[in-house]
Amino acid sequence: MRIFFTLCLLFISLCVKAQDIPEVTVKNLAGDDISTSEFKNSKDIKVISFWATWCVPCINELDAISEIYQDWQDETNVEVIAISTDDARTRRRVKPLINGKDWEFKIYVDENQDLKRALNINILPYVIIVKDGKIIHTRTGYTPGSEEELFEIVKQHTD
Amino acid sequence: MKKLTTLIIFLSFVSLGHCQLIENLRVGLEVNAAWYNDDKNTGPFFDSDNQDSDKHLRANSYLKLDYDFLKNFTATVQLESYEPLALLNYSPNFDGTNLGIYSLNYRNKKLEATVGHFYEQFGSGLILRSWEDRQLGVNNALLGGRVNYSILDELSITALYGKQRVGFKTSDGEIFGANIEYDLSKSLGFSESSISLGLSYVGRKQVIDVMNPKYNELTNSFSGRLDYSKNSFYAGLEYVYKSEDAAVLAGQLINQFVNPGSALLINTGFSKKGFGLDATFRRLENMAFFSDREKAGNIYLENNVNFTPALTKQHDYLLTNIFVYQAQSQVVFADPQLTEVGEIGGQVDMYYNIRKDTPLGGKYGTKLAVNASYWSGLKGNYDFNNLSYDVDYLGFGEKYFSDISLEVRKKWSSKLNTIFYYVNQYYNQRAIEDNFSGEQIQTNILALESMHRLGSKGKSLRLVAQKLWSNSDNHDWIGGVVEYNFNTKFSIYANDIYNSGDDADTTETHYYNFGGSYTKGASRFSLNYGRQRAGLVCVGGVCRFVPEATGLSASFLYSF
Repeated sequence: MRIFFTLCLLFISLCVKAQDIPEVTVKNLAGDDISTSEFKNSKDIKVISFWATWCVPCINELDAISEIYQDWQDETNVEVIAISTDDARTRRRVKPLINGKDWEFKIYVDENQDLKRALNINILPYVIIVKDGKIIHTRTGYTPGSEEELFEIVKQHTD
Repeated sequence: MKKLTTLIIFLSFVSLGHCQLIENLRVGLEVNAAWYNDDKNTGPFFDSDNQDSDKHLRANSYLKLDYDFLKNFTATVQLESYEPLALLNYSPNFDGTNLGIYSLNYRNKKLEATVGHFYEQFGSGLILRSWEDRQLGVNNALLGGRVNYSILDELSITALYGKQRVGFKTSDGEIFGANIEYDLSKSLGFSESSISLGLSYVGRKQVIDVMNPKYNELTNSFSGRLDYSKNSFYAGLEYVYKSEDAAVLAGQLINQFVNPGSALLINTGFSKKGFGLDATFRRLENMAFFSDREKAGNIYLENNVNFTPALTKQHDYLLTNIFVYQAQSQVVFADPQLTEVGEIGGQVDMYYNIRKDTPLGGKYGTKLAVNASYWSGLKGNYDFNNLSYDVDYLGFGEKYFSDISLEVRKKWSSKLNTIFYYVNQYYNQRAIEDNFSGEQIQTNILALESMHRLGSKGKSLRLVAQKLWSNSDNHDWIGGVVEYNFNTKFSIYANDIYNSGDDADTTETHYYNFGGSYTKGASRFSLNYGRQRAGLVCVGGVCRFVPEATGLSASFLYSF
């Protein structure tokens, strides 16, 4: 136990720098493999939200972003990517749900949670902001209004 | 211990300013602690899994490190600590402090190879899934090796071997697996539609220690999958066959009760802008598949080789999670009146967005979600005395569960959002819980949620009111939630559910919780005090039974 906490303290005291997004394969809605290295290809800032069809705050967050997404894009070219972590029980619900909700985001599926694990994501929703393949901001949980904070960060980093 | 010391020395070295190294390191820390107290209403603290009533303070801690090096390599370790004992309801196999996961992974464009622990899923997991869920206490990673090779853009193969992780040990049984994924549409040059094919094999080999066994050490399972999509239409088919294996009744291997198993999953859907429809059918027969046979049906969800979640809607409100269906994949011969060998049924989902500026849509639009599911046992002849059965392929037997739900989400103004949620359920307690005196319970549940924004800095209030009516004198529940967000970082909440019915376990007891959380970036600290209802904790379609407990719990999450 003591060793465990010594280790933890040690890590918290380490110098922290912007991380590269790890290279993991996810799937698009057609079932094709997509490597996360593709997220690095464009200069535009990407807001990547990890969600699930059964996670109410995740849906609240994506609904809220969806309503102002057009304004975001007009101002900054930001791209929102919603990565579903739904497993076999609920994965089939992803496609009808995003269409039913009229979301314009790019959608990927991380069915056995390889990317979620690689990023050490413990709870949903979880948002990362990526610029040039580097993670420049992370945030967990959603409360109404936090989508505005996200956009402030996007604007700060827009050239 | 030596391993740990080496690790600490290595990490201390790293921390001495070698930021270059740190840049390739990802760290995740999670600590969940609890102090359980005696409860005047529900009795003194007692941990029946460990037969302990002294160790009130418990903590489960996880430290995971991923280190990328030499361009193509990743090393992963996960240190876990359950001290002095694990939180209530976790398997006693999670004991002490040790390395839970270690692996080395090589990856380039064509080839990926892993030695050590790895997680894998073939198809939807009906034949194989190894995964982790800390809240459920599930970690059935395979310890061994795996190779995945992309022969062509459209064709890849995977081969694996390993023993399953069980606590800090491994299963006796060995798992062999192979998988092929083939994207036919690429080979055929289809551009408008997509057709893909998948084939899998999973073998489980476990030494038999009964005399004259009527089954083999090696159980073979095969799976075939076909997926098709064109424009807004899609359909998929998955079939699994499992070779003959002995049934496990109440934890005992039954040598003279040997049968094959099978699973069929059909899914189809149609969706376009503003509308989505999806339908699923599944039949399971004798599909319990465990790395150690005698662990079939264990309450800690250990040794699961495949993944057969309940295909019903996972509701998110307190009262909608009292009667939760669990997939019935296993052979149960408990009594001449209580025999099961699987389940058959399906569900339909519909999503619809009523556009803005229409009478029902209002200024912001209205979002509807409907789900209906129906599950029953397999129809057939069950011979309890001779341990045999003969079931129809498409016959619906005794009804186990049904659920109809409607969700209406409406934004009224920039300050107010509401959710209306209604559920009608039928729950066959006797069959689902294998409980002889179980009831046939019908419920109607209503939940109303409102979210109020109280300012620009993330100040907001969330209120939920819930009510459950049932045909049983035992269940008549009411519940509520209040959540106040001071800003986007700091929140407090309180909730309570109360049963005025006669159910001996829960009657006239408040199951209340209150607490708060502070979030900054990817770090989160939360503190909670309350009384936990005995029941199912469900995550991602898998549920685990947890007993009643009262106490203070704290959780800390950190990652970079």
